[in-house]
Amino acid sequence: MLGFIIHDGVAKGYILVGMKLLEYEAKQILADSNTPIPTSSLITKTSQTLPNIPTVLKSQVPTGGRGKAGGIRVIESADEIQSNIDDLFNLSIKGFIPTTLLAEERLNIKQELYLSVLIDRASSIIQLIAHIDGGIEVEDNTDFTSWSLENPVFDVIGQELADYYQLPGQTFAIQDLVENLYNCLIKNDATLIEINPLVLTADDQLIAGDCKMTLDDAASFRHDWNYEEKPTEANFVTIDPAGNIATIANGAGLAMATVDAAFEAGLKPANFLDIGGGANTETLLKAFNRIVEYTNLQAIIINIFAGITRADEVANAIVAAKQQIDNLPPLFIRLAGTNYDVAAQILTDNDITIMPNLESCLTAAKESIND
Amino acid sequence: MTNLFEGKNVIVQGITGAHGSFQTKAMLAAGTNIIAGTTPGKAGQQVEGVPVYDSITDIQRDHEVNTSVIFVPAPYAKGAILEAIAANIPLIVCITENIPVHDMLIVHQKLKDSQSTLLGPNSPGALLPGINKLGIIPASMSLKGNAAIVSRSGTLTYETMAGLTEQGIGQKYVIGIGGDVIHGMGYIECLQLFQDDPDVDQIILIGEIGGQEENAAADYIKSNVTKPVFAYIAGHHAPEGVQLGHAGAILGSAEESADVKTQKLTTAGAKTASSITDLIKLVVG
Repeated sequence: MLGFIIHDGVAKGYILVGMKLLEYEAKQILADSNTPIPTSSLITKTSQTLPNIPTVLKSQVPTGGRGKAGGIRVIESADEIQSNIDDLFNLSIKGFIPTTLLAEERLNIKQELYLSVLIDRASSIIQLIAHIDGGIEVEDNTDFTSWSLENPVFDVIGQELADYYQLPGQTFAIQDLVENLYNCLIKNDATLIEINPLVLTADDQLIAGDCKMTLDDAASFRHDWNYEEKPTEANFVTIDPAGNIATIANGAGLAMATVDAAFEAGLKPANFLDIGGGANTETLLKAFNRIVEYTNLQAIIINIFAGITRADEVANAIVAAKQQIDNLPPLFIRLAGTNYDVAAQILTDNDITIMPNLESCLTAAKESIND
Repeated sequence: MTNLFEGKNVIVQGITGAHGSFQTKAMLAAGTNIIAGTTPGKAGQQVEGVPVYDSITDIQRDHEVNTSVIFVPAPYAKGAILEAIAANIPLIVCITENIPVHDMLIVHQKLKDSQSTLLGPNSPGALLPGINKLGIIPASMSLKGNAAIVSRSGTLTYETMAGLTEQGIGQKYVIGIGGDVIHGMGYIECLQLFQDDPDVDQIILIGEIGGQEENAAADYIKSNVTKPVFAYIAGHHAPEGVQLGHAGAILGSAEESADVKTQKLTTAGAKTASSITDLIKLVVG
């Protein structure tokens, strides 16, 4: 029994750290790693060279479930293409509007399989995961088959995978595919490459029908990555846009603990925010500016235990925010750690109160909201 | 053999860097016996009176080394850890954050066949108040005593330690295992250490959403730990599938949620708190 579930088209329970690529970005990397992809062209709002008919138009949004949302369309006649392009550029899928459409050849599908290569968190090794029934219903499967790719012998694993897929005639192609995917994962610092479906065409070619790929942000220093900006920011997460308080903390754990404690106290936190180690006045001001956009905001809880972050930097940012941001809701501040004395002086000089601990911040915030 | 964390001969890899030199000073001030440091190409220099060598091998010609604390920047951290493994250093503490996952896969494989234990990366290290400070946990907020803390989060470690100190409850161990997905020592190794150390009389475990390690820790506690365990899991209100700060803090399946982890720890006999402030109250009793 494998310790993971598949959901939203992405193998979860694994690390999903980093940058999720759009389909066309992922497929380009696959092609560069000698994995077959459909013949395709890109359509943007400014560059609309029309593809050959028939074609499959695919909205390039960073989320799963596009097919069910109408984001994938088979175009069989030339009169339909322009209206569908316009339509897709205006179609919001789970809140995402595409800036790019992928136009692909229509594959003549004999069979749809599932295949992924990923870093397994529990075992700290690279795993190959397969299922004989790929496609959009893959999430319903529980009986996935996996292989460890620690010191892999690709001929053996490829042979076993071909046997599992019941495609003995494809053994050589599958051996190559596994080796290419493994090398692709390592070469590109990817944490996940998921091909679903892996299409067997009527003329017996194996082609990546769709691909999800996640790259490890931490490795960006050794790559020349230039991909469409994705709205993923681990350190600032909206929990409830209608929440009545915002939270600012340093360190992921303390930020989560601050949100937990606020809920426990009966408040409704709008966000999770970890300003990180070494935060300065500028990054903090930016955070304040994002926070005040929450419409129901009635208080801001600031919980800083300064280690590498210096408490006086935080104090300066608080003073600057008070001066520069109109309609700033009341602040409830708890500060401790490195340079606390300097910070306390800065805040006192500006008539800003520091609370002794998180609990007193939450109690005071609650009272101020009820008033 | 003496306790892994009480080894007296400590070195610092990356000692001439900004973090390395600053933290070397703090560790020396806390009484850590730092005998040498390394930065390739800077042999012959001194940092806070500590001699700098080009490599660990060079240090080992003059000294036995028990522990290395690594502050080497992420692009070179894999090389630094592998150097320490190759030199058979018993305890390697890696403070560096943002090391690529694929680099840690290579480290993980090398560790398996080695005689070294790795703490971290992306860890604040370990503090044994009055005995050893191996990393960046602020000693000023600690108190020597008999509690033992293990956590994945740096700031929550400090918060808990300071909270206990305020209440007069001292600590034998304060250990941050780090927030990365692939890391060295985990909860189970720490729990084993705490259970076996007669100085420890109570254990505080702090976890968070993501992964299954707290669940494995709960199983371990059930069958192996007889000392009282207090626990708090951060992230009860985390949205699903969104990464919260730490690379490892992402809620994938229900099994990785704070609620399930808390439930499993409770079933295993731990006293669990619903917030960090409650945790301190729980320990104080």
